[in-house]
Amino acid sequence: MNNTLLSLTIAILFGIGTFMILRRDIVKMIIGLGILSHAVNLLIVSTGVFAGTKVPIIIDDGGHGATEVTGTIFNDVLSENILAPVIAAGNSVHYVDPLVQALVLTAIVISLATTAFILILAYRIYEEYGTTDISELRRLWG
Amino acid sequence: MSSFMQHLPILLIATPILMAAVTVMLRPRPQLQKVLNIAVTFALVILSVLLLLQVWNEGIQVYEVGEWGKYGIILVADLLSAGMVVLTASISFLSLVYSLDYIEKRSLSSSYFPLFNLLLAGLNGSFLTGDIFNLFVFFELLLLSSCGLVIANEHGGITKSSDKMEATFKYLVLNMLGSIVMLIAVSSLYATTGTLNMADISVKLSAMSAAGTMPWHVFAIALMFIVVFGNKAAIFPLHYWLPDVHPTAPSPISAMLSGVLIKIGVYGMLRVFFLIFRDTLYIFQPVIIYLALATIIVGAISAVAQTDVKRLLAYSSVSQIGYVFLGIGLGGIYAITASLVFLVNHAIAKSMLFLSSGGIIHHAGTRDMRKMGGMVDSSPLLALMFLVGAMSIAGLPPMGGFIAKFVLFDAGIIGKYYFEIGIALVFAVFTLFYMFRAWLLMFWGEKRDVDKYGEYSSRKASPLVMIPIIVLATAILVFGLYAEPLISLATATAGQILDPQPYIDAVLTRVVR
Repeated sequence: MNNTLLSLTIAILFGIGTFMILRRDIVKMIIGLGILSHAVNLLIVSTGVFAGTKVPIIIDDGGHGATEVTGTIFNDVLSENILAPVIAAGNSVHYVDPLVQALVLTAIVISLATTAFILILAYRIYEEYGTTDISELRRLWG
Repeated sequence: MSSFMQHLPILLIATPILMAAVTVMLRPRPQLQKVLNIAVTFALVILSVLLLLQVWNEGIQVYEVGEWGKYGIILVADLLSAGMVVLTASISFLSLVYSLDYIEKRSLSSSYFPLFNLLLAGLNGSFLTGDIFNLFVFFELLLLSSCGLVIANEHGGITKSSDKMEATFKYLVLNMLGSIVMLIAVSSLYATTGTLNMADISVKLSAMSAAGTMPWHVFAIALMFIVVFGNKAAIFPLHYWLPDVHPTAPSPISAMLSGVLIKIGVYGMLRVFFLIFRDTLYIFQPVIIYLALATIIVGAISAVAQTDVKRLLAYSSVSQIGYVFLGIGLGGIYAITASLVFLVNHAIAKSMLFLSSGGIIHHAGTRDMRKMGGMVDSSPLLALMFLVGAMSIAGLPPMGGFIAKFVLFDAGIIGKYYFEIGIALVFAVFTLFYMFRAWLLMFWGEKRDVDKYGEYSSRKASPLVMIPIIVLATAILVFGLYAEPLISLATATAGQILDPQPYIDAVLTRVVR
């Protein structure tokens, strides 16, 4: 249920973003790019969300209650369809994939930098051309 | 010494990033900033050659950043990466020497050097990384720094700053969309295989393919990567930003953009498709071939009608990148070799042509070829250099471009792709036509419209501007007359690309766990 809602949210955000970048106003375009990048961030987070309990990065030793953490990480067993960092269902450990969150942090920081740059660029274009209408930007022949 | 040699891959990325910080701090002392940066960039050339020699002698080098094994970020230097790094380092060194005299003083001392260093770090990083998310990070690094460099001012203000803003906006928006598509592809790949290491993804996808459980969306992911790298390399439906951005950038940056930056797309295509998506290639090779042919046709036809010299060179880049992709699409060791030889020769010739076009437009005070003419009298050396570059791009015998085109067409004929090679040959004739039309318009005949526009400015190209052009022209001649080392290097590289098992072994078997 939660996954369906999440997928629906991501899809709607992609729709809004695509609609916004097709507008003629530069600022609306930039807002569209921002919404798109947030949609992508949600998509990345959603790849670390699994139905059921099979998302550890550290496997504690078979789960017999002890604090004995072996520190074995990521066992790929291709024959049993186990791909790191996802371990097979049935292992009842509850961790969330941390790599996805590292990825999303990186993506957020990068989109912050590009958005800041493109906003400054939009302001300079407004100074040069006196408009934010994208169809007025026709001084190049292309 | 040996421990120093182990750290070559990270040095090639860390040094430019460090230099970016140092040059920001050295802004009050422009002379020191210049000398230091030139010295360090030259050191990078030497380091990259050392890396190539090391890879050639000892096989693929793997560097674990932070020693996290295959689960952390790793840097991998195989022949393709190391070769591209050598190409990047040498062209950027020459462009940097050129820009000392070409870029306006204020622009040069404030932001030019830090951004140039970051661009270099981004380029080296994306060639050397073995982690697909890290590839995305370096793409963003080089995208932002190249945007800042396109805006940099040259002497004389030949390109209006409003043009620069418009071109940069187009470039930035398209590439931001490209990086969004790339993030979607990378995260879907991660959700499918549970890893970001390219060698590991490759192993898992081929295991799935062998078991017959390859999910259908892997094909969609591969298609997204064609869009991403096609956008970077400007192949046909995504080529229209290039003829705006490359001419408006100052000439040394145009040389970097056309010489090295669009090759990132080619590199990504070779790396991702021949390593990760080997099992989907049978569907996508025809797609790549026909996109390449469309790129060749569109670029060549558009270039014929141009009157702006840098715009003509930019359209020529679009057309020539099509030939590189044609070689990738044909497949097979000989065609990939041809494509790599073509890539190197085009990088050298096109960056040389952009550098000399900078000298030309300074001398003429305009970029419009209709207002030039008879320049062979006032700057004969520049005329000779431009002729060398034009001959190489057109593929005439003593130059490197001839070898490249010859090998490519030979590979196509051996592979029995007669129709495709026929089209490519017809448009190679177009190349000959537009390059020589440009040369004749600019250098031959008489100066047109002297009453209206006056004589040429007395500003001649200085030695600092001419030396990089002459060095690159010599390289073109050397690769044309003695192509054997380049071809054998390209053959070895193509062998590594087509058989990724050594790459995978080098990455995965040295994991300590």
